[in-house]
Amino acid sequence: MQHKDINEDIRWAQINKDVLRSMENPRKAYWISVGICLALLSLAVIAEIYQYNVGLGPTNLNWPHMWGLYIATFIFWIGMSHSGTLLSAILHIIHADWRKPIYRFAEAMTTFTLMTAGLFPIIHLGRVWNMYWVLPYYSDRGIWPNFRSPLVWDAFAISTYLTSSALFLFIGMIPDLAICRDNTRGWKKKLYTVLSLGWRGDDRQWRNFRKTYLIMACFLIPLAVSVHSIVSSDFAMSIMPGWHVTTFPPYFVAGALYSGCAGIITLFILLRYFFRFEQYMTLPILEKTCKLTFAIAMVWTYLNLIEYSSVWYGHDTVAKELLIDKFTGPYSPYFWAMNILGSVLPFTLAFEKLRRHIPTMFAVSILLNVGMWLERWMIVSPTLAMSYEPFTHTVMWASWVQWFIVIGSFGWFGLLFLVFVKIFPSVSMYEVKEMIFHRRHLANKDIAAVMHRRSSDPQPSEGH
Amino acid sequence: MSLQNILQDWSKYRKGNEEGGFHDYEHLWGLAIDLNKCIGCNACSVACYAENNLAVVGKDKFAKHQEMHWLRVERYWDEPDLGEQAVSDYQSHGASFLPMMCQQCMAATCEPVCPVAATYHTPDGLNAQVYNRCIGSRYCSNNCPYRLRYFNFYSYYEDSWPAPLNMQLNPDLTVRDKGVMEKCTFCVQRIRAAKDVAKHEHRELQDGEFTTACAQTCPTQAIVFGDLLSLHTAGKAESTLSTLWRDQQVELGRTEQHKQNPDKRGYRVLEGLNTDPKVMYLERVREV
Amino acid sequence: MALDKIKRRDFLKIMGWGGAGATLAGCDMPTTVTLEEGKEEVVSYLVPEEYVIPGIGVWYASTCQQCAAGCGVHGRVREGRVLKLEGNPESAVNSGALCQMGQSALQTHYNPDRIQQPLLRSGGALKKVSWDEALAQLQQKAGGRSAWVTGTISGHQAVLLDAYVKATQARHYPVEVVGSPVWNRVCQDMLGDANPRLRIDEADLIVSFGADFLGTWNSPVHFSRQYARFRQGPKRGMLIQIEPAMTLTGANADLWLAIRPGTEGVFALGVANVLVDRYQTSIAGLPADAQKAIRLYTPDHVKDITGVSVDQLMKVAELLKKRGNSLVLAGSTAEGHSYGYQSVASIMLLNILLGNVGKTLQANVHAPAQLAPRVGNTANLVAFAEAAAAGNIDVAFFYGSNPLYLAPQSLGLKGKLDKVGFKVALSSFMDETTAQADLVLPLASALEDWGSHVGAYQNGELQVSIQQPLMEKLYPETRGFGDVMLGLLKQRQVREFALYEDYYAYLRNAVAAMPAALNKAGGNAWNNALQHGVVALNAGSGALRPRAVSLPQPEMAAGDDGYPYHLVPSARLGLWDGRHANIPWLQEAPDQITKVVWDSWVELHPTTAAKLGVARGDTVKIASKAGAIEAKVYVYKGIHPDAIGVPLGQGHDEYGRYAKGRGVNPLSILNDTKDQTTGELALHATRVQLSRTAGKPGDKLVLMGGSESQLGRKMVATVKAEVFARSEGDA
Repeated sequence: MQHKDINEDIRWAQINKDVLRSMENPRKAYWISVGICLALLSLAVIAEIYQYNVGLGPTNLNWPHMWGLYIATFIFWIGMSHSGTLLSAILHIIHADWRKPIYRFAEAMTTFTLMTAGLFPIIHLGRVWNMYWVLPYYSDRGIWPNFRSPLVWDAFAISTYLTSSALFLFIGMIPDLAICRDNTRGWKKKLYTVLSLGWRGDDRQWRNFRKTYLIMACFLIPLAVSVHSIVSSDFAMSIMPGWHVTTFPPYFVAGALYSGCAGIITLFILLRYFFRFEQYMTLPILEKTCKLTFAIAMVWTYLNLIEYSSVWYGHDTVAKELLIDKFTGPYSPYFWAMNILGSVLPFTLAFEKLRRHIPTMFAVSILLNVGMWLERWMIVSPTLAMSYEPFTHTVMWASWVQWFIVIGSFGWFGLLFLVFVKIFPSVSMYEVKEMIFHRRHLANKDIAAVMHRRSSDPQPSEGH
Repeated sequence: MSLQNILQDWSKYRKGNEEGGFHDYEHLWGLAIDLNKCIGCNACSVACYAENNLAVVGKDKFAKHQEMHWLRVERYWDEPDLGEQAVSDYQSHGASFLPMMCQQCMAATCEPVCPVAATYHTPDGLNAQVYNRCIGSRYCSNNCPYRLRYFNFYSYYEDSWPAPLNMQLNPDLTVRDKGVMEKCTFCVQRIRAAKDVAKHEHRELQDGEFTTACAQTCPTQAIVFGDLLSLHTAGKAESTLSTLWRDQQVELGRTEQHKQNPDKRGYRVLEGLNTDPKVMYLERVREV
Repeated sequence: MALDKIKRRDFLKIMGWGGAGATLAGCDMPTTVTLEEGKEEVVSYLVPEEYVIPGIGVWYASTCQQCAAGCGVHGRVREGRVLKLEGNPESAVNSGALCQMGQSALQTHYNPDRIQQPLLRSGGALKKVSWDEALAQLQQKAGGRSAWVTGTISGHQAVLLDAYVKATQARHYPVEVVGSPVWNRVCQDMLGDANPRLRIDEADLIVSFGADFLGTWNSPVHFSRQYARFRQGPKRGMLIQIEPAMTLTGANADLWLAIRPGTEGVFALGVANVLVDRYQTSIAGLPADAQKAIRLYTPDHVKDITGVSVDQLMKVAELLKKRGNSLVLAGSTAEGHSYGYQSVASIMLLNILLGNVGKTLQANVHAPAQLAPRVGNTANLVAFAEAAAAGNIDVAFFYGSNPLYLAPQSLGLKGKLDKVGFKVALSSFMDETTAQADLVLPLASALEDWGSHVGAYQNGELQVSIQQPLMEKLYPETRGFGDVMLGLLKQRQVREFALYEDYYAYLRNAVAAMPAALNKAGGNAWNNALQHGVVALNAGSGALRPRAVSLPQPEMAAGDDGYPYHLVPSARLGLWDGRHANIPWLQEAPDQITKVVWDSWVELHPTTAAKLGVARGDTVKIASKAGAIEAKVYVYKGIHPDAIGVPLGQGHDEYGRYAKGRGVNPLSILNDTKDQTTGELALHATRVQLSRTAGKPGDKLVLMGGSESQLGRKMVATVKAEVFARSEGDA
């Protein structure tokens, strides 16, 4: 059984070769996946064109249910984005070096899930063509957006987060892009030449690079936490039962990290297979990710129970009736499914045997995300179905238009992601080298002494 | 928006806070609905369709709850205040009707959440909805505890008004297109017209000079429309509506009314949410 | 406004008006010639027509024609279009209010399914013809014995119709299904006034046996106005409604009692029995069989027959005795049985015993005979069917009534009509009767036509309500009813009408020529009439002379004969008898009780539903001896377990895009039972059996709203009457 996170004897040139090869000849499954994503995306395009022309009527959204799957899926995707930051920024700061082979695609996931999530508030608008009105741009009539509205905060938060995480992804890639530049030809070489910003790997560049990367990481962490807190304000700032919940910001952040980690497991397994990354995306790393997911799942479960009990023991009868209805009403199958998938299923991650069984983990990770998607839906819809005015209590089931767009968003995300991992190195070459170096030379010695040194200083003895 | 404007707005706001009351308002349009008189006949609702160009959506869309009735008459089969009596073999106390139109809340929950400020509070105390500005995020409707905001899920103008039905459309207001939120305006076009006439004649607007379509047509005169400004501002001519509110000891700006005479029937729906609605209902009376 | 004081804002406003005026010139108005018609002349609104100020609405008075109550309306006219109707405050009927049917008269007028040209049947199909051809055809055919089937008709239209009927020796059959013919007959027999003045506002207690006076009974808007006074302080009246299925009035009752259909009279006699036994009311003056009936129906006996508990009966009797002025009413559910007359008479007996006559039931004013309404009923429908079957009718005219829709299948009217040689429909819409006609004369809408009306129910104050056009005709090839009648009269060379160029001239002359003694206002009668919309007439009223009639023991239908349930076809303020089914506003306006839209439904009591194993939205088949219909179920406790309620109004085979093929018509499956005294169709006497069926796939029962319970939240809050009495009453 493999116990080491990575084969410490691997040659650096081999790393370069393996990663660069991944960008040339993936398995056939890669292309099948691209095809599936394209098909899913085209469903969404069809639905969106229809919806754009006719209006929001065919979605089955209705008079109490002004929001539906779009907003639920929006939160889901925003949530997915958080784990990229967790892996790349938080684990970077706390020096958890096992993240190194997998943080790149996680960070890419962050960027692309944000790009997917950001579409949903736009798609759900009644008048999409006026979407830019939520941005504060100079208008000679003195018209500004309403800064009190959480939706405007969303616009700021998401655009900031997207910019920052994209920048973070890009900065972290610069040394690898230089490797690509040096090993490719044709249009790719031109692309990498431009993107690598003249990286030569000299000492000053490395020092500045390290500083910048660290600063970005520090900047990104509070940003990530705030983004999902702000998204939770869409609900927490409202007056509706089941929405105006004080614990929503941490609850949302926990849920976000949870679904993000599950998403990382899924993509981990896919990439390992597509690009034959068994050497880098190893089972011990998968195990560590699973443990992390399990911990976060427990935090989420705890916050979930807090929410139930604070409603149960509170005096807000309407919210309490809503909670009872969630457990027993028309949405209860989904509500129970969410609780089982979100709080019970993660216990599979506690068993080493299961953790090391890749097909199981693949299924579990997807099911966990199904649970987390249900969670978002169970936040949005039951409240709309059963709020203060009894006369408006109705249940809404989404139509094919909503489903197509929701499903298509997975195609859109998948396509962006797959194109990215094909064009850019999805395993950070220079950081894997660092990892191997440190492990090989320092693992058995006194870590404290190592930490005293600048751990990021490259070793001149082995170049790349 | 310049810095100067911001400062001006701020000092105005601060001044208003210091002075208290409703001195910034020109009017505070409100309603009183006597459930003792309301018979649930639906005349108000149809009058509203006629006055405000409300789209008829048809059975299929109605089945999906995509209808557009700004004024709906809710019907319940039980009454909490009746207690055990409601449980019997027959509906022996009849039905309970509740006409619900936009409550024109003073602390409207719909207003702060609109990302583009398409809904805002006017100097008349109304929650105005600017159709042109609305982008259709529908947050306002989600955040309305009364669920009194309706969304144009389709463009209705072809299906709802086949010629020559379109000739009936009231030219004083628009026909809303898809993607826009709409709701009861307290017949703002009638308010506007009456104000214009008063201004033209160099006089103040008189109480009872005009009324909303629902109040006008009500066969039992259960709906009273008017200006509430005199309820809270000295020196304003007392309107019928203000008198009614005063008599019922219902005040704006409260989450719970402290009535000297607890027998008074005035109440506001979901008052405890502090939305501060400007529609007062008078409790239904029951012989036991 | 001095020139130097014009502010930028005002300037823009003025410019705005100018701009608006200029824009309006482009709109295609019914009064302007448009380019589409091929005449390249656009009449600019910069030179507006007389009385038209662009952008300014002007209100004109007219009369609502949506039901026979005759409410006065004001119509808002802007740029030549009528946009909104409001009640005419000067009308004694509605005092400024209007019901939803009145509000939606606009959609009858602007309805997209109106007939725009005369149609003549040739080769089996109706083909467009000109008015000249149509009238020529009519002149040729109209020689024989003719019959007129109309709705309730009054005023000067009735004068013209009478003249024509007289000139052609025709028969006139006014037909209405929603009405109170038995009540009127009983009032005539027992009070000496067919339409006594009801003082709902003066009553302290109203006991109504199915009289839906807030919804469909005689003059609902007027009664609603009275009801508001009845309910307000200082002495708030109490309302008890006794009926098998809840009506709008029942929904507003303080006490709603479900009674087994057809036993209303028994209950009334039971109340009389208690009044005699316990409260020493004297019945010495009553006819012997009435006395016998009262003695027969002891509370226990009544309980067995009616299904209402003894306690409730005692309570009603006690309230009637103790609670000041009372008023007892009887509506269609009491009337609609073979012994309907006895039932209503028994109920009316209570008014006499309680001394209500002269207090809450007062003598009413009556219009001069020639203007008085010819109130429709179903006995006329039966009579017409019989005359048609006997082959006694060569030409039948239909106006304002749709007998083929209203008549039960058991009457066989469709087959009988085939024996009528030539059928002429004067109609605005292709309804079931019009579709069978040989000649269709398209009428102008009520908002385009002249007329005068006298409501069937007057409120102690006689008014003729004037109907004037609120806009130009939408379709030039339509004609007003008065104009058509005048044309027909001229064909017949009735001399006294030959002078008048059109109905307007006739009406104007007739109103202006009203004797000064009759016309209260005096002065320029015509201008006054147009301005106010009503002409108040002097009319005396006598006094009511109560007189009990004999009450032979009614024969109640024995056993259920395999048909266990009573069918209650209930009229609704909305679609009425089906005439408003083509109005989209009213189809979309939810039913007041069930909140169902765009459909028919079957009301079932929860125990009935449980017995059948059905729930809301399931489809059941309702079969009588005469036929069967299918509709979806609405379950609630506002109906007697032995009864099922199906609303009138839907189930049209014709009648335009909004009505056609929607829901079912309960009238179609009624048995051929008649009230033995009046000959009225017994609308509530049909027994049916119920069975569950699959229903049409994809067809749902659509209701407005969700939860029917307030869930303990204070939506509709309630106070007890004693609290009300403390705060707003005289206690």
